[in-house]
Amino acid sequence: MTAATSAALSMSPPTPVAVTGIGLVTPAGIGADDTWKGVCAGRPTAAADPGLAGLPVTISCRVPGFDARTQVGGAQPWRYDRFTHFALTAAREAVRDAGLDPASRDWPAARVALVLGSAAGGVGTYEQQHRKLLTTGHRSVSPLTLPAFLPNMAAGQLAIDLGVRGPVLHTATACASGATALATAAMLLASDACDIAVAGGSDAMITPLCVTAFARAGALSHRLDDPPAASRPFDATRDGFVLAEGAGVLILERAADAAARRAPTRALLTGHGSATDAHHPVAPSPDGRGLRAALRQALGRAAATPADVAHVNAHGTGTPLNDRTEASALHGLFGAADPSVTSAKGVLGHTMGAAGAIEAALTVLTVQHQLAPPTANFHTPEAHTAVLDVVARTARRQRIDLALSVSCGFGGHNTVLAFTPAPRPLGAPPAGTPSPTRPGPHLDPAS
Amino acid sequence: MDDVLQHLVTLLTDKFDVPADAILPDSTLTDMDLDSLAVVEFAVTLQELWHIDLDDDAAADITLDDLAKTVRGLLSEQSGTAAP
Repeated sequence: MTAATSAALSMSPPTPVAVTGIGLVTPAGIGADDTWKGVCAGRPTAAADPGLAGLPVTISCRVPGFDARTQVGGAQPWRYDRFTHFALTAAREAVRDAGLDPASRDWPAARVALVLGSAAGGVGTYEQQHRKLLTTGHRSVSPLTLPAFLPNMAAGQLAIDLGVRGPVLHTATACASGATALATAAMLLASDACDIAVAGGSDAMITPLCVTAFARAGALSHRLDDPPAASRPFDATRDGFVLAEGAGVLILERAADAAARRAPTRALLTGHGSATDAHHPVAPSPDGRGLRAALRQALGRAAATPADVAHVNAHGTGTPLNDRTEASALHGLFGAADPSVTSAKGVLGHTMGAAGAIEAALTVLTVQHQLAPPTANFHTPEAHTAVLDVVARTARRQRIDLALSVSCGFGGHNTVLAFTPAPRPLGAPPAGTPSPTRPGPHLDPAS
Repeated sequence: MDDVLQHLVTLLTDKFDVPADAILPDSTLTDMDLDSLAVVEFAVTLQELWHIDLDDDAAADITLDDLAKTVRGLLSEQSGTAAP
């Protein structure tokens, strides 16, 4: 064990955290099941977006068939921005999935925390109301503008909707926001600030200004004539990401508490690491310094070594620079251990501050089902990405005892989350020592 | 029900999600669970739709019938603009 991992361990004794519920709203569907199916099938969701007509990039990954009125009924959805609609929908699913009922007397409101990440909050509302101010004057500006667009308001509205009275906060680390929310929630649980944490990320940034600004910065794919092929993480011909929207929410509890209430544990969050490049506002450090530090911290907290990692759900945006730097950092740390690597962004596009939470939920499902989803559109590696074992074309069944979810964001933020399979249920026969080729104990043959 | 009242009812059900059975001639916007921000939003919406300046301070606690009367008055004050 290195000095760095020893330091990480001594800083924070590991508190295994159970993931007892997940909820997803993504371009692959509304709900964790539809999203998991779409991601495992490797079906890209990018499509022409009529709402972006006349802008430099006219493709996006939208959540299909999302109607706030039916999805968020009863909560006055007309008052909220779309990013709050997504967060409410995902959070309610996650809470149900965990077998919790906020309306019941058992819901420990004061001991529930809520941490919701978002890169841009209600930027769509902000743009729309600002346009009204400029075009039709101040009398046409909605009084609901601030409660709709302030970035903390998804967290605030979720607290009202679910009756959460413990610590409630918003995390903003750009595209790592959702992962930062989960790491923060794990720390709140470890410090006994709460017993249950509702944590995740949400963003709805497919807006005229955001699309234009990303396009002007050269970050978006220009494969406008062939949208399904546009998002191609780690592929030699990648040319940028496709902007997406969505939300992911996970329910976290200390593993001992989850076991005590016989909660349906999907996986354990056994480690997390956060470190910063301190290098450049938007470009990753060329040596992947912050990312490597975050990876080592997560492994340290999980009491694991690089050789233990079977799978990595990468940040993999599909921009030339991100994927090159990430591939080098992963290869530099894992070397011959060579875990399988995937990026869900080939299917889902880049959901911004939601990505870290959505991909964490997908990593939970990956260890639960012992199935690594493919990277859509990954066909031809180039020198920098050929060092990785990228899962291509079809999902791969493999034994996964430890998987990492990696997130990076503008600002030089890096966060890594470590997941392991849930402990076997009480009364189950001992696991023994499965051979390396045997599927893990949580394999679901139906999936 | 005249056109103005019908439009107000449609606005309350479609935009503000007020249940149809809560909309009565003698209910106020406050009775229909519109808080102060929602009442201002209601006034802004009428401003956008019909270009009338409804006083939101006065709008919250008058009955729907009186509200329709007020809106009718504001519409007829507008020269050259037909009622919706």
